[in-house]
Parts: sequence; structure tokens; C-alpha cells
Amino acid sequence: MPLIRPKAAGAPASSPDPRTAPDVAALKAALQHGTPDARRAAARALAGVPEAAGLLAAALAGEEDIRVREAIFTGLAGLGTGECADLLLALLRSPDAGLRGGALDALAAMPARLPARLPALLRDDDPDVRLLACGLARVLASDEATALMCAVLEREAEPNVCAAAVDVLAELGEPQALPVLARCAARPGAPAFLVFATGIAMRRIRAASDRAGEAGA
Amino acid sequence: MAEAEPIRSGRRVLVIDDASLVRLYYRQLLEDDGFVVEEALNGLEALEALLVGPFDLLIVDVNMPRMDGLTFLRTLRRLTSAAAAIPALVTSTEAAAQDREAARAAGANFYLVKPLEPEVLTLHARLMCGVPA
Repeated sequence: MPLIRPKAAGAPASSPDPRTAPDVAALKAALQHGTPDARRAAARALAGVPEAAGLLAAALAGEEDIRVREAIFTGLAGLGTGECADLLLALLRSPDAGLRGGALDALAAMPARLPARLPALLRDDDPDVRLLACGLARVLASDEATALMCAVLEREAEPNVCAAAVDVLAELGEPQALPVLARCAARPGAPAFLVFATGIAMRRIRAASDRAGEAGA
Repeated sequence: MAEAEPIRSGRRVLVIDDASLVRLYYRQLLEDDGFVVEEALNGLEALEALLVGPFDLLIVDVNMPRMDGLTFLRTLRRLTSAAAAIPALVTSTEAAAQDREAARAAGANFYLVKPLEPEVLTLHARLMCGVPA
């Protein structure tokens, strides 16, 4: 799906003018039974109706047309409500990789909704959900992302989730992550990839810290 | 005793993964084994890369932004160009039988569960490219 631009934090969802309010029942019918073009148009029209979030999310389950899916995800991200965020988070459990990816793109476009939800997601019972949640931490400020990813590394046993956290730290990590990364790499039986990844992340964090020190000197 | 030089097969591999460290890991291992490696961050970038250069092997992650690996493979296999026949090794964190079946149905030739040990990656790359293992 196309990159969804993040909405400004706290921006209200648009509320339709009652005189020109869309016919939600007709749009719902078009979304469920129309041609791909009609479904896409209906999804775009419903993107301005906050109460239609559930309707849009439900339509994703049976929707196979990529363009219609894009319109729905863009609409949910544009609405940007807490309900939209929860509906999108539920899709991270979908067996459909396209739905998981679309949900991640849409969630990344609504960063204001993530800080309250990420900690629980990072402790989810499903390691695949925890792994995807790590990627979402990229939209947070670097200190916040560093704290969350370090906490993941301290408690996480699943190597792929650790690798996802290390990938975020390699990009955003602050120096306080260095001892956590070192402990992660030193775990008995750590997979070769995790040892490699932690080494790269530590080098990048040290280099960024050195550059910041030189700039401040 | 010095390590034997890798066979310089020159086979071209496109690594498609949104995780930068995974791409770097695969690149290092494969280049050390004589492959030529290009990278793409998602399925859309991979389709663009395939317009530019021929590849002998695609290594494809499943969960990626913008276009996931299985949508990419379904799109690729519908193309009428020679690119549609490039073998694809799917690498994923998901180990369930249904995930493997979904990848196979999308057009994967082989499926490996992450994280990959170095020799597993290079062995499969060699086998799928017809390079002596």
C-alpha cells in the first residue's frame, strides 16, 4: 500500500456537514457488494465518517482487491481514532500477510495512538504479534523506543522478537542500550544472526554517540 | 591453513526484507560465498528491481510494509516476463504448516524459518542457483 502520511497528533477526525452527510447505508451496500471501483469509492467516502470505522475494518476480512484494501487502510489511518487503532491492532493477528502489513502501515501513520497501546502489545502471548509491535516502536521518540526495546530484550526469550528489537535499536538506540545489547549477544545458544545484529547495533549506537559528542564539543 | 576461496559463481540474488540487519547479514554471508547481492525493502521495491536487472534467486521475507512478501510473489508469478520463473526462497519467523502452505500457494519454491544459521542460508542459495554445494 502507499505510504500513509502521519496525521498531526490530536487532530480531530473530520465531521461531515449534516447537509452533505454521506448515505452510510448506501455506502455500506456498495462496500460489501459493489464492483472494485464502487467498493473503493465507498471506502473513500466512508473515510470521512468516524462511526464507519467498524464497517471499514469488517470489510477488510473479505476484500481481496489491493486498491480497495489500500483505500480502507488509508481511511482508517485518516480517521485516526482510538477505535481505529484497536481495529487495526486486531489485524496483526490475521493469517493474511497483506492485512498484517496494511495494518502496520496504517498504525505507523497514527503515532499518537501507539504509546498507550504498545507496552501491552509487546507483552502479547503471541510472539508474532510481539515481533510486529517492535517495528511499530520506530514511530516513537528515540528515548521512548530505546526504553521499550531494552525492556523487551531483558525479558524476551524468542530470538526473532529480540532480533526485531535489536533492529529498532540499531536505528534509534541511545547509549543506555549498550549493556542490554551486550547481555543479549552473550546469552548461551544465541543464534548467529542475533550475535551479528547486536554487534552492528552496538557499533552504530557508539558511532552516533561519538558524532553527537564531537558536535557538542 | 588458509580457508578455501569461495566459488565465484556470480549468481545474482535479490534480498527482499524490511529489516536492515537481516539484509546486511544475508548480504555479508552471500557475498562471502561468491554471490552478487542486491537489496529491496519491500515487494514494491523488488518489482522495480526486477525491471532493471536479472536475478537467479529471490530471498523473500513475508511481513513487510507497503507490499508483503506473499503479495509480491503472487504478483511476480503472474508476470509474463522471464522474471516470473525466478526461484524464490521465503524466509519467515512463522513456522506453522499453514504459513508454509500459504507461501507455497503464493509461489515460493522453498520456505525457511528465521533466524537462519549461516550455512543453512548459503547451502540453500547454492542449491537453488545450481551452484555446487
